[in-house]
Amino acid sequence: MRAAVAVLLFVGAAATALPAQTLSHYSVSRQFHGEVHLVAGIEFAGGTLHVAAGAPGSLYAMKLAYDADRFEPVSEWDAGRGAVTLGLASRKNGAIGVNTVTAKQDAAIAFSPQADLALSLSLGAAQSVVDFGGLRLASLTLETGASQTEVRFSRPNAMRCTLAAFRAGAAELTVRSLGNSRCDRVTFEGGVGSVLLDYAGSWTGDATLDAKLAVGGMTLRIPRSVGVTLSTNQFLASFQPQGFTRQGNTYTSTNSAAAKRHLDIALNTSLGGVTVEWVD
Amino acid sequence: MCRADRLLVAAGLLFLIASPAHAAGPAISRAATPFPQAVPPAPQGGLTISIRDLSAPAKLEPQLARALRESASPGFAVTVPGGEARVGDFSIGSGESRQGDFLILNGDADLYGRLSGNLVTVGGNITLHPGAYVSGSVLAYGGEVQDAGGQVTGEIQTLGALDSAAPAAGAQATATPPIMHALRNVAGLAGIFLTLLCIGFGLVLLGKPNLEIISDTVTHTFGRSFAVGLLAQMLAIPTFGVLILGLILSVVGILLVPFAAIAYVLVLLAAVLAGALAVVHALGETYTRRRMAQGVLLGTPNSYRYVLTGLAGMLLLWSGWAAFGWVPVLGWIAFGAAALVTWVLMTVGLGAALLSRIGLAGHFAGRFIAPETLTDEYLWATPQFGVPAARRPGQHKTPPPVR
Repeated sequence: MRAAVAVLLFVGAAATALPAQTLSHYSVSRQFHGEVHLVAGIEFAGGTLHVAAGAPGSLYAMKLAYDADRFEPVSEWDAGRGAVTLGLASRKNGAIGVNTVTAKQDAAIAFSPQADLALSLSLGAAQSVVDFGGLRLASLTLETGASQTEVRFSRPNAMRCTLAAFRAGAAELTVRSLGNSRCDRVTFEGGVGSVLLDYAGSWTGDATLDAKLAVGGMTLRIPRSVGVTLSTNQFLASFQPQGFTRQGNTYTSTNSAAAKRHLDIALNTSLGGVTVEWVD
Repeated sequence: MCRADRLLVAAGLLFLIASPAHAAGPAISRAATPFPQAVPPAPQGGLTISIRDLSAPAKLEPQLARALRESASPGFAVTVPGGEARVGDFSIGSGESRQGDFLILNGDADLYGRLSGNLVTVGGNITLHPGAYVSGSVLAYGGEVQDAGGQVTGEIQTLGALDSAAPAAGAQATATPPIMHALRNVAGLAGIFLTLLCIGFGLVLLGKPNLEIISDTVTHTFGRSFAVGLLAQMLAIPTFGVLILGLILSVVGILLVPFAAIAYVLVLLAAVLAGALAVVHALGETYTRRRMAQGVLLGTPNSYRYVLTGLAGMLLLWSGWAAFGWVPVLGWIAFGAAALVTWVLMTVGLGAALLSRIGLAGHFAGRFIAPETLTDEYLWATPQFGVPAARRPGQHKTPPPVR
């Protein structure tokens, strides 16, 4: 009986003390003062992330809703390099237990459409949509762990991009309209997961793709107007290309000689499956 | 009232009394705007808030919340190194130029002129009017920054609630009251307890003989099990490396590498889990038998009860950390102690699981009589209880021959 009273007291105390678990909000922005280059890093530990072009008057801006018990906002500006690191990092001493708030974390990051952007993203357990449409993307590095990421080039890149490097662990990665990216070279290193590289868009030059795939599936969606040369180094991987002629480990698309734009693909796969889809 | 009950009731009352104070938290609720005035600097050792560096506002948040709480109290004083603090609304006129960092409590800041420094408002908004210029950064804690055409060379930041409907959201989530920490830890422990309980009951149901052999190995060869468990922990990764390397070097075995890797991890996990549950079983069995030896009626003593009792014991071990984990030093000590004991027990469990080949071999289980010798004849001839120990007669090792 007395034990029951004590338990009731505990429950009562808990009920009075228990606040509605809410998210903290944080926003940061920097005005655009004629900067030409911006080196930006995004570290995002968990939640939903949106990256897009921002207002012309803003160099960068981030709005965060986060679980302050477990995470803390990241905003570091290096004036010397013109570099900023934004995002959300895990607290090292965060409490353990059951929490549904973390899943509702949300971040929206925007960059200036006027500065040349060298961007690196490191994504944790996140669901991300990154749209480079309207941005001046100079280079891109994306590392993603157990996440679901969609990268879009919804509009043609306003400048030439030297490299787009993707590294995915156990992730689902979709890259759409890579033809708009104007990236000379695209690299992909994948572990376990699925990846879709869609090369639709307005091609302005030739491109190369270096893909290393351990276990998982890769789908390459390539416009029919693009000539493709594909060299493979496979170990136990399945590769059944259509629309190619084979010569040793090199496959050449039948339209290669007549095509204005070319894509050279180097595939290095161990147990992964690679599929090529032709699109109009 | 027994002592335990008294303690429980006292602890419950303590939490009930203490919790409202914690629950209140550093809410960003703006009171009626006070008359604008400067806040005097705090005496030596008093509240000091440096807003020179605004790159990590989340770390500044507790101090800002405290300043806001205390700002309404008479005699409030705060030191802002290289600047000043004010309460109430604040503005810099269009022809005006101010230097230093400004901390504005419970008021809005309207900038028309120039500020050489940082600006922080707590419980108020910042408005950058056309022509305003700030050479540093601005931060609105619990408010918003409205850029109407001003210029800021640094960053524009807001922290806390974005809408007035939930003004304390940021503060509530940031400063978690101790009761919340405790409840969260208890919830986490309860989840682990229930999970292990389900697995333990499943193991009893499906693999009781194996579990009992590992459990007996824990009981009878504790030290040896610990040594083997320790060795296993040290050799787990090198063994894995050797296994994979061997398969790769054998060329033919390359195909088996993924399967071997998965199998190795699964076997190791099974050994750790079975060992841990066997330790729990052994703890429960020992406790139950001792209680029964004291004449306490405990219902049916079986493996389910042993697992439940042992897990309850482990839960008790961690309950100190769950309840007081938020206390700075005591919490760390409680965590360290519980983690150390758990590690020792799990090491013993792993060692026992390996010694007994995951419950297949009873060599170290203290079962001196092989099961195949336990025939009906043996059991009929051997009394199970109450065999008196006979003293050897005299100094002779053997009794004298009967004449």
